[in-house]
Amino acid sequence: MRKRSWVAPTAVALGLVATPVLWEITRFPVFYLVFVSGILFWAAQATSWNILSGYSGYFSFGQGAFFGVGVYTMAVLFGRHGWNWLFVVLLGGVAAMLLAAGIGAIAFRLRSLRGEIFALLTLAVPFILAAVVRLVDVIDGGQGIVVPVPAFPEAVAPFQRFYFVISAVVALLALTAAYLMQNNRYGWALFAVRDDEDVAEGLGVPTFFHKMIAIGINGLIGGMSGAVVALNLGFVSVEGTFNLRVPLFVIVMSVLGGRNHWAGPLVGAVYIHTLQNRLADAGFDGWSLIVLGTVLVLLMILAPDGLMSRFSRRPWQVSAAFVLVLAGLAMFGTWGEPVDWLAAALAAAAIVAFLPGRGVSPAQRGVSSVGLGESRAFGEAMKTRGENWTPEPVVTATDVAKSFGGVDALRGVSITVHEGELVGLVGPNGSGKTTLVNLLSGALRPTSGSIRLAGAEIVRLPPHQIAHLGIARTYQIPRPFSSLTVRDNIAVAIMFGREPKSLAESRAEAEEFLMLVGLTDLADVRPEQVNLHERQLLEMARAMATRPSLLLLDEALAGLNPVEIDNAVAVVRRIHGSGVSIVLVEHLLRVVIQLATRVIVLDQGRQLAEGTADVVLRDPAVVTAYMGKESHAPGD
Amino acid sequence: MTELQASIFGALTGSLFALMAVGLSMLWGFLKIINLAHFAMILLGGYLTVDLASRLGMSPVATILITAPLMFLIGALVQAGFDRFGVSELNSLLISYGLLIVTVQIVTNVWTADFQRMSPDINPLSLQSVAIGPFVFPMPTLLAAGFGTVLVFGAHLVLERTYAGRALQAFGQDRQIASAFGIDHRTLGLVLAGTAGASAAIAGMLFAVGEPLTPDSPFEWIGRVFAIVILGGIGNVTGTLYAGVLVGAISGLVSVLWSPSAAPLAVFSLVVLALVFRPNGLFPRKAGH
Repeated sequence: MRKRSWVAPTAVALGLVATPVLWEITRFPVFYLVFVSGILFWAAQATSWNILSGYSGYFSFGQGAFFGVGVYTMAVLFGRHGWNWLFVVLLGGVAAMLLAAGIGAIAFRLRSLRGEIFALLTLAVPFILAAVVRLVDVIDGGQGIVVPVPAFPEAVAPFQRFYFVISAVVALLALTAAYLMQNNRYGWALFAVRDDEDVAEGLGVPTFFHKMIAIGINGLIGGMSGAVVALNLGFVSVEGTFNLRVPLFVIVMSVLGGRNHWAGPLVGAVYIHTLQNRLADAGFDGWSLIVLGTVLVLLMILAPDGLMSRFSRRPWQVSAAFVLVLAGLAMFGTWGEPVDWLAAALAAAAIVAFLPGRGVSPAQRGVSSVGLGESRAFGEAMKTRGENWTPEPVVTATDVAKSFGGVDALRGVSITVHEGELVGLVGPNGSGKTTLVNLLSGALRPTSGSIRLAGAEIVRLPPHQIAHLGIARTYQIPRPFSSLTVRDNIAVAIMFGREPKSLAESRAEAEEFLMLVGLTDLADVRPEQVNLHERQLLEMARAMATRPSLLLLDEALAGLNPVEIDNAVAVVRRIHGSGVSIVLVEHLLRVVIQLATRVIVLDQGRQLAEGTADVVLRDPAVVTAYMGKESHAPGD
Repeated sequence: MTELQASIFGALTGSLFALMAVGLSMLWGFLKIINLAHFAMILLGGYLTVDLASRLGMSPVATILITAPLMFLIGALVQAGFDRFGVSELNSLLISYGLLIVTVQIVTNVWTADFQRMSPDINPLSLQSVAIGPFVFPMPTLLAAGFGTVLVFGAHLVLERTYAGRALQAFGQDRQIASAFGIDHRTLGLVLAGTAGASAAIAGMLFAVGEPLTPDSPFEWIGRVFAIVILGGIGNVTGTLYAGVLVGAISGLVSVLWSPSAAPLAVFSLVVLALVFRPNGLFPRKAGH
């Protein structure tokens, strides 16, 4: 059964509901049309911003740049040169998308451009653009540009009605994009980037590509919306375009509404635009930025998740409060005007959402029970192979070295892992074990040397391609995607595997891996609610979900109690039994002796010894490396 | 000759921007706080200097006796808030953005959006200039360069030579270990943020002495100041000063050779190149330090 199919019908159903509602609104008096058009403009801007900054966590202060490019494309090409306005709306979007792609191509290529520096760079872009626009006479030259009223069909006259219709189209475009992305791989890639970009890349998510898609959509819709609003402005100027309104408003709206939900920016736009409107009506124009700045500060401290997450905890109570207050005020009709009623109803909904007390908590904590009984179900591939079977090498590292600014972490190590092997990688702290894991998984590039996977050189490949070729890893300190459930953590790895899968298919397939490590009962809780042992099991399940031929376990048993260690050992055996080669980095020699078919000892970045566990661990050189020169081999 | 004069003039102005940048850079490097409200404090410092000098007849330079302690308090108070709510690096950027917007609007409501500058009889420095060899430099620029250089090197000495300075560096490198060794990061953080606030007040005074102020001035500073922070290396005090001088000299030169509007383009191209090739800043401290 394919559960995937509900997304598209829901989108169509929402459209079918929205269209008559919007059509009904077109009959409103002009004042209300203008009011709703304002909400639609902000909904488009904030939603497009949220697709990049909310979904992927790359915070942008540069919305004003995309908006401004749209505004000026319309002002110059339609206002000055009289091009077809509809065509120019598209051109404005494309121009802003190209700018966005340029910013992305520079910013996302650089590892050093972490989120904070990306945010600061985007802060500078609108100011540079403003300087260019002000100085170049072909664009503006500091004089401003008049934008005449375009010709529009009689059916949507007057102009405010026409403007409402095109604003609605752009807003619906933005909301549809955000809604679809929240339910498909394009959105989920961004969620994984937001939670842990390196892990996402290591699991096979092409992070650069998906960040470029996100910033491109942000630019496209931001630019189209800017081009449309220019038609309503009549006159555009540098000061009126490249100011702080747009970046500030989209941030406040999205934070208020909620950055994790497609409808969050829409909810925020409704609240903030209504608040703005009432403030202006009451003659507090000069206060609006003060109020908004304060709202932003308070929200970030008190409710960074936003309204949507509160609404979804008690949806019925919130809707009831909204409808009752709105209908009640409308029926009595003695106080205020419709926008006041709306403001009061919105306030009532927010108050109900923030009332103390327990809502439905997102996930009830389950009880872990690791079923060892199922381990036999996983085929013991090794035994079914014939007597004359000779194992092929899976990965061959030749003379790899890595230095960090003059410190040699690895000084030329050559290892080969064959099909069906479980290689124990041991050595004292600082011997280069984790560095080797990072080189094999592509998280780091070696300073010199070669790494071949199934005969193909992988040293220059990005980690997501190495993941697709069959190497998976776990982290010593588990790094689950914190905003996704245990099941969805695994589903992401399946979705971005060698063969792309839909979200529903991936979720269904995740069951197999939950069972493999015995986390079925905890499938629907968040990683923060499970203990260290269970998180380490999740790391293994998620790595296995990429269907690797080689699994790198980096101290997957660190910090466990003896019972948990026995359980984890059983899981590793089970994974090994299913035919996957394993490199096990481990300090617990008891575990290495139990599991490894071969042991490699590293010391100070060099390979010290290699062979079966009982031989290698009695090697005097190994004992000296571990215990110091004065010690004797165990058993002496 | 014009080119040389422009570069030297730019370098001198650059040390004022380095003074603006150094507080930000230290808070970012040592406390993991990106404080856009720093620009609000520079702005308030500038406006208070204009107001105190115009209304009370104080010497503009002497106004820092009032504004620096005041901004010390505000800076420490903001840091206390960040500390109390355990604000992350990215959230500090957003929250302080809110604070900056609120301040800009309050300044607009109190002092109007028009240019504010002190008349020459209140601010005689603005008319003075000093001839050095073939070059003539306005007094406010020299004053800014002097204050900027002395304060930034002073901060460097405090960091290197005192227990508190070394404790701060340790805390910037590894918070948990430093705390485990008994470093009281709260008090140190408050003192550091307060000092950054005081430096903002001084930078505001120096700016007001030389240039007219508008409520939007912070948004003209932000780009250049963060370019200096990144080029100098986050948390690197002397690097900030060198980067300020470099950015100033390049801006001055590009303005003369090409056009003033091209200066930000040149500076940001330099930032992008530096991020690619020298991610730890142009002036990394020696290894093992």
